[in-house]
Amino acid sequence: MKIKGMWWKTLGVIIFIYVLTGGMLVPLKSGILHTTPSSAKCGTTVNIDITGYNTHFSSAKNIRAWLKADSVHAIQAVEVKPVDEIKSVVTFHIPDALPTPDKTQPLTLIMDNELDGIFVQPNAIFVTMADTVSANGALWKSSNLNNFSQVDQFVFPYRNILHETIRNIFFHVALWFAMFILLIAGVYYAILYIRTKDYIYDIKSSSYTKIAVLYGLLGLATGSVWAKFTWNTFWTDDVKLNMTAVTILIYLAYLVLRSTFTDTDRRAKMSSAYNIFAFVAMIPLLFVIPRMADSLHPGNGGNPALGGEDLDHTLRMFFYPAVIALALLGTWMAQLTIRYEHLKEKYFEKHN
Amino acid sequence: MKSTANHIKWIFSFLLNIILLSQVHAQGDSLDFLRSTGKIYTVVAVIVIIFIGIVMYLYRIDNKLTKLENQFKNEQ
Repeated sequence: MKIKGMWWKTLGVIIFIYVLTGGMLVPLKSGILHTTPSSAKCGTTVNIDITGYNTHFSSAKNIRAWLKADSVHAIQAVEVKPVDEIKSVVTFHIPDALPTPDKTQPLTLIMDNELDGIFVQPNAIFVTMADTVSANGALWKSSNLNNFSQVDQFVFPYRNILHETIRNIFFHVALWFAMFILLIAGVYYAILYIRTKDYIYDIKSSSYTKIAVLYGLLGLATGSVWAKFTWNTFWTDDVKLNMTAVTILIYLAYLVLRSTFTDTDRRAKMSSAYNIFAFVAMIPLLFVIPRMADSLHPGNGGNPALGGEDLDHTLRMFFYPAVIALALLGTWMAQLTIRYEHLKEKYFEKHN
Repeated sequence: MKSTANHIKWIFSFLLNIILLSQVHAQGDSLDFLRSTGKIYTVVAVIVIIFIGIVMYLYRIDNKLTKLENQFKNEQ
C-alpha cells in the first residue's frame, strides 16, 4: 500500500471517528425536562413535580431550589423531596403579592446541587395575584440566591427544546462549513482555469463543486430532520432556509449546464465563468440576507452566532475537528472524481 | 444492471419502513421514537443521512469506473 498521499485521508477518517465517539459519548449537562403544575396563585403553597434530565436528585445531599422573578426578586424552596434520580418534588410558599405590578408573571425555576451544579428552567410556572393586592417587592428579597455549587465536569450544554440534538452541530452545521470550504476550492480552480486554460483545472473545479452540492443537499436533508423534532416542521419560512435552497438550485443549474455541452473546451469556459458567478451570488445569499431577517437559526436577527451556550468550549473541541474531517473526506471524494474524469478524458482523447 | 435496481428497491423499502415505524410510534405515544431519550435518535438519523449520502455518491462513482474499465477491457 502506498503511504505517500494517504496521510490526509487517514487523518480525515481518524478525526471523524474522534468526532463521532466524543460527540456521541460526552454527556449532556443536567437540566429540567418539565415541571407541573404550570400555574399557581399568590399566597398559596405549591408542590412542583420536577422531571430532570441527567440529574442526581437522590444521590445529591444538598439540593436547593428557587423561583426567580427577575434579577433581584426570588424566593427559596421550603422543602426539596427527591423521589428518584430524575424526579423530585419542590415545595414553595408563594408570597401574597408579586414583586412588580403585572398581575401574572412567569417565574424561572433554579436548582442547584453539589453533583449536577446549577441548572434553570425559564418560565417554569406562571403565578397570578389577586386584583385587590398591590405589588410588594420586599416579600421577594430574602432568597439566599448565592453560593452555587462549582462542579468540574466535561459536559455539553443543556438547552431547552434542543436537548441531545445539540450534538447535531458536529454534523449538520459542520457540513455547511465543509461545503463552504469545498466551494472555495471549486471557485479557486475555476479562476485558475480561466487564467491558464489548462483543462485539468476545469475537472478539479467541477469535482469540488459537485461534492459541495452533495454536502449542501445533505445539509438541507439533515436540517429538515433536525427541524422536525425541534421546531416541529420540516421546512420553516426562515429566510436562511429559502436563500440556501436558492443557492443549491444555482449550483444544481451549474451541474445541468455542464452536462449540456459536448465540446469540452466550451464546457470548461462556460462552467468556469458560471462557477465564479455562482460563488459571488452565494455570498450575499448565505451570509448577508439571512442576517438581516429574524430567524430560528443562531446568528440571525440579533441572535449571537457561534457564541454563548450555543457553541461553548466543550462543543468547540468537536465542532472545529468535525469541519476539518468533513472537508478532508469531501476532498477525498473530489479527488476520486477528479481521477475518474481525468481517465475518461484521456480515453476519449485517444478515440476521437 | 438488475442488481442495481434491486439495491435501490431495497434501500427505498428500508427507508419507507423507518418512516412508517416512526409514525406508528407517533400515534401510540405523544413522544414518538425520535423524540425519546432527549431526542438522541434525531442525531442518529442525521448521521445516518450523511452516511447514506456519502455511500450513494461512492456507489455512483464505483459504477461509472466499472463502465470505464469495461471499455478499456473491450479494446484489448
